[in-house]
Amino acid sequence: MSETNPEANQLKPARRASLLYGIASIVSLVGLVDAIYLTVEHLSGRSVRCTLSGCSEVLSSPYASVRGVPLAGLGALAYFTVFSLATLAAFGYRALGKLLALVVGLMFLTTLWLLYLQAFVIGHFCQYCLLSALVTTTLTVLVIAATRASRTAAATQRG
Amino acid sequence: MAISTARLSTPSSNQSVSVVRLIQNRVEQKMKRALPFIIIVVVLAAGITLAWSFLRSNAVAPAPPPAGNNAPGAAATANTPAASNTSEPGAEPAHALGNANAPVRLEEFGDFECPPCGMVHPVLKNLEAQYGPAKLRLVFREFPLVPAHVHALAAARAAEAAGLQGKFWEMHDLIYENQKAWHDAFDVRPIFEGYATTIGLDMDQFRRDQASEFVERRIFLDGKRGHAMGVQGTPTIFLNDRELPFETLAPDKLKAAIDAELAAHP
Repeated sequence: MSETNPEANQLKPARRASLLYGIASIVSLVGLVDAIYLTVEHLSGRSVRCTLSGCSEVLSSPYASVRGVPLAGLGALAYFTVFSLATLAAFGYRALGKLLALVVGLMFLTTLWLLYLQAFVIGHFCQYCLLSALVTTTLTVLVIAATRASRTAAATQRG
Repeated sequence: MAISTARLSTPSSNQSVSVVRLIQNRVEQKMKRALPFIIIVVVLAAGITLAWSFLRSNAVAPAPPPAGNNAPGAAATANTPAASNTSEPGAEPAHALGNANAPVRLEEFGDFECPPCGMVHPVLKNLEAQYGPAKLRLVFREFPLVPAHVHALAAARAAEAAGLQGKFWEMHDLIYENQKAWHDAFDVRPIFEGYATTIGLDMDQFRRDQASEFVERRIFLDGKRGHAMGVQGTPTIFLNDRELPFETLAPDKLKAAIDAELAAHP
């Protein structure tokens, strides 16, 4: 027992990183479903059912698409990328953690820009967009924590 | 039990057990490596299925708005008995050109994205100019073929929203006449907003109306009328409530049919 304990301690940051990447992959699924829903609604031109008032203002604004590509579609693609990278990282493909951090970082910056647009330019908030902002923020926190944990793990392994 | 433990204790079976374990470990390792890829593929498939089911739920004619929603007039027309020979009156007031008592009434069930509808459009426009409002009344009914035509519903919404500002026909004409320009666009909203600007609509109201339950309800009611009248595709045109076969939508044949009707009801 006394021999196995330090080994378990050494593995701890690695396990924590796996766990955090795993949680990130599950959280990204929420964003993925949200984005898929919005993409389909956008393409079908149907009004989205909202309990908050500002949905149609936001989703039919010129900011809802970039050069004809619906932003929600790009979001779905981004969430799927995050899901794939986080799942692989959780299963030990740690090198992908850096790429994941980059993608999530870009998504977080995009989220800040979209929140700014909703608050100051369009003047309305849409609940699906806010959910996406929440998901991306959560992902950012998780990925930062996971990156730290996997760095600590790598350092202890080398040590 | 006694026999099996005795067997395991022999050196040769010990070797075979370790080989089995080695194989097991390797299989487990391979499984562990493949597992994330399997999960990713499963999620991709689930995502596509989900998108498909969202699309399918949109394919059904727009659902009537929940009770208490702001759809003035729509609730009143929904259960009104038919003015014509079907039990479904369609959206009221209907989009119509020409006098209400004109002897010939052409009612088109159209989908703005359908190419034959786009081809029939100038034919109907010519007839309208030729016969004038006293003889010919043109009625347009929304019949967007969703999901086959991905932009059809957006186009119907844009036209209906323009209608709420009294410019249905202006938008109707622009959408049909530029069908080829927006047909392949990924996002048609900015294009239709451009048309709305061209015909001088209040843009804030246009955007609000496009997404409104009221517009959705109008399209739904027109669709209901179409189904009740046996419309299968677009364009389907009724001449005084009699369906014209698709082959007779050529300019000369359509003209002949109208002339025959005028001769019968001078």
